[in-house]
Amino acid sequence: MQRRKIIHIDMDAFFAAVEQRDNPQWKGKPVIVGGMPDSRGVVATCSYEARKFGIHSAMSSSRAYKLCPQGVFVKPRISDYQQVSRQIHSVFLQYTDLVEPLSLDEAYLDVSQLELFKGSATLIAEDIRKKIFQKTALTASAGISYNKFLAKVASDMNKPNGQFVITPEQGEAFVAQLPVGKFYGVGKVTEKKMHEHKIFTGADLKNKSLQQLGRLFGKSAQYYFDIARGEDHRPVVTQRARKSIGSETTLQSDIKDENEIKHILQLLTEEVCVSLRKKQLCAKTINLKVKYHDFEQITRQTGLDNYSCDERLFFNVLCLLLKKTQIGKKPVRLLGVSVSDLGADVLSSSFVQLSLFDDKGD
Amino acid sequence: MKFKILREDLLTPLQHVIGAVEKRQTLPALANVLIKLNENQLTITATDLEIEMVSVIRQMMDATGEITLPARKLLDICKSLPDESMINISVDGDKATIQSGRSRFTLATLPASDFPSLDEISSVHEFTIPQATLRSLMEKTAFSMAQQDVRYYLNGLMLEVGGGILRAVATDGHRLAYCEKNIDDDLIDSKQVIIPRKGVGELLRLLADSDDEIKVILGNNHIQCEMSDQRFTSKLIDGRFPDYTRVIPAEEGNTVIIEREMLKQALARTSILSNEKYRGIRIILGPNLLKLQAQNPDQEEADVEVEIDYDGHPLEVGFNVNYMLEVLNTSKNDVVRMIIKDANSSCLMQFPDDEECKYVIMPMRL
Repeated sequence: MQRRKIIHIDMDAFFAAVEQRDNPQWKGKPVIVGGMPDSRGVVATCSYEARKFGIHSAMSSSRAYKLCPQGVFVKPRISDYQQVSRQIHSVFLQYTDLVEPLSLDEAYLDVSQLELFKGSATLIAEDIRKKIFQKTALTASAGISYNKFLAKVASDMNKPNGQFVITPEQGEAFVAQLPVGKFYGVGKVTEKKMHEHKIFTGADLKNKSLQQLGRLFGKSAQYYFDIARGEDHRPVVTQRARKSIGSETTLQSDIKDENEIKHILQLLTEEVCVSLRKKQLCAKTINLKVKYHDFEQITRQTGLDNYSCDERLFFNVLCLLLKKTQIGKKPVRLLGVSVSDLGADVLSSSFVQLSLFDDKGD
Repeated sequence: MKFKILREDLLTPLQHVIGAVEKRQTLPALANVLIKLNENQLTITATDLEIEMVSVIRQMMDATGEITLPARKLLDICKSLPDESMINISVDGDKATIQSGRSRFTLATLPASDFPSLDEISSVHEFTIPQATLRSLMEKTAFSMAQQDVRYYLNGLMLEVGGGILRAVATDGHRLAYCEKNIDDDLIDSKQVIIPRKGVGELLRLLADSDDEIKVILGNNHIQCEMSDQRFTSKLIDGRFPDYTRVIPAEEGNTVIIEREMLKQALARTSILSNEKYRGIRIILGPNLLKLQAQNPDQEEADVEVEIDYDGHPLEVGFNVNYMLEVLNTSKNDVVRMIIKDANSSCLMQFPDDEECKYVIMPMRL
């Protein structure tokens, strides 16, 4: 198989950079986009100046304020960011249609078939970053490699405003020295679990057999097995279907009472089901997210036998999931409900409930 | 302010109004009930800004004044005290002390002036009706209301008064319940209001199965119901209710008359294997035979046959079995009449001894 050429483009401190661009007086200052310091919100993005103070995204804004009281705290202007994101996306499309957006400020591009710059992905990436800067006055970093996993790791190497290449020859050696925590798809929990089993780097991971990994990580074993060898066969998917639908809320104050929590879960479930119905989707997996008052965050999930969008069923499943948490014992700060494994309900096509009123007149 | 009251005299009005208190409030005052005292009565008010419920106990009081107290806590305290306990309540600043026997509770109060009251209602039309009549009218229709439909005007019960008739109509867009009662009223042009779901539930809880009269006051934005010792007020849903007259079919077509209980049991039996979500079942009408069929996603099947008197066209039509069962549960009549034109038209269900009610169900295409 021909080696692919994948570019991962990641905007530098995107929300904060947009704010600094639009408010020149904030240039060179620590800018923190997210919740206000006196709120219970969190940092969405912060400028590189703010990162020097130890601030990072997902940190509570109040903590960020303690670290850097002189910081400029700004509420996110999502619609503005979306507009910039569309500009960036239009730049990508000048090069290839094979663009997979990951979020407003990140995307994979498959440039394997491009003849531009004699097919040099490195030069293409540089050109894309230059164009983005011309169009938006914002900088981006790029990772270039032969699969998505390595391209993503690479874009982090020379941030901000830089790029990094991992060639097929370097891939395995590069992964071998990489701490597992840097692997895409390895979160804090998995990292800890890997450390417990003396897996600290890609090399350690590679020493495990697929069976050993399977016992430890179940379904994800194959992915870890592959990436430890610098392999990742996931294609660049241009139009991804939505993977999950969810709703979450940071509570006005920490709640310990289980009934109150159930009530909030019910409201969240309703919201999720309304969105499901609007999209005429059903789900097969239900996820509960809980952040405790001490910011410890856990998720619990259950799979269903069949696709469903039944609110009561979801709520009952969530109540069962509650038992696997410390709810009732430990105050809760944030609750989230999401459903994934989405699919159109195959049965819905065979049952059509007719309506009393034609939709026009009423 | 300081007063004493018998546990039951406080508990009863609290239980009447507690439904208005939301479990999760937007305003701190909404967690509280307003307690007003004058020489000869005690009034308790609860609201969620959408509905307001007031309950009155007429008796000599040894103080006058107004306070607000946390509704659920006060209710729980009253419930927990022994029967016939005497409760002493005293208010000092922002604290209230509830004392009974050797139990003492200190509760936080909020000033009565913080307690929201609904806007003054301007009466457009008023009528009186026995409680049992209004209750029956609402019970027989409310089950068809929509829940959280984007067509917000369906998430409630429509009351229409005019020409000496009071009508209640509820629909979720798939089925409709209609019921009418003659009332002593001289309004000629009809007046329509839509009561929101929550209000319907609370009003039904208040209405007794008695001939005691209730006064219904219709305003432009509110409905208010007054009983001797209770008052219920609800904001109305501001919207145009669909024209129900257009969707109630004429009483002609293939007619099935069947024992209510028998049909109910046959439907319930068939429904065991209907799709849990869509609840679709197939009704097949042939000469003197009614066949019910259901099939679930695991391809398991139910087949139930019932002998009937039927000489209309053979017919095969799908319905949500829950819709039919809910209609059958509204009546105690022995017999139900179903009129079905064809597989794409609505089915009209009526009880011959209760022609005031009409139920319309749209079929399912199976």
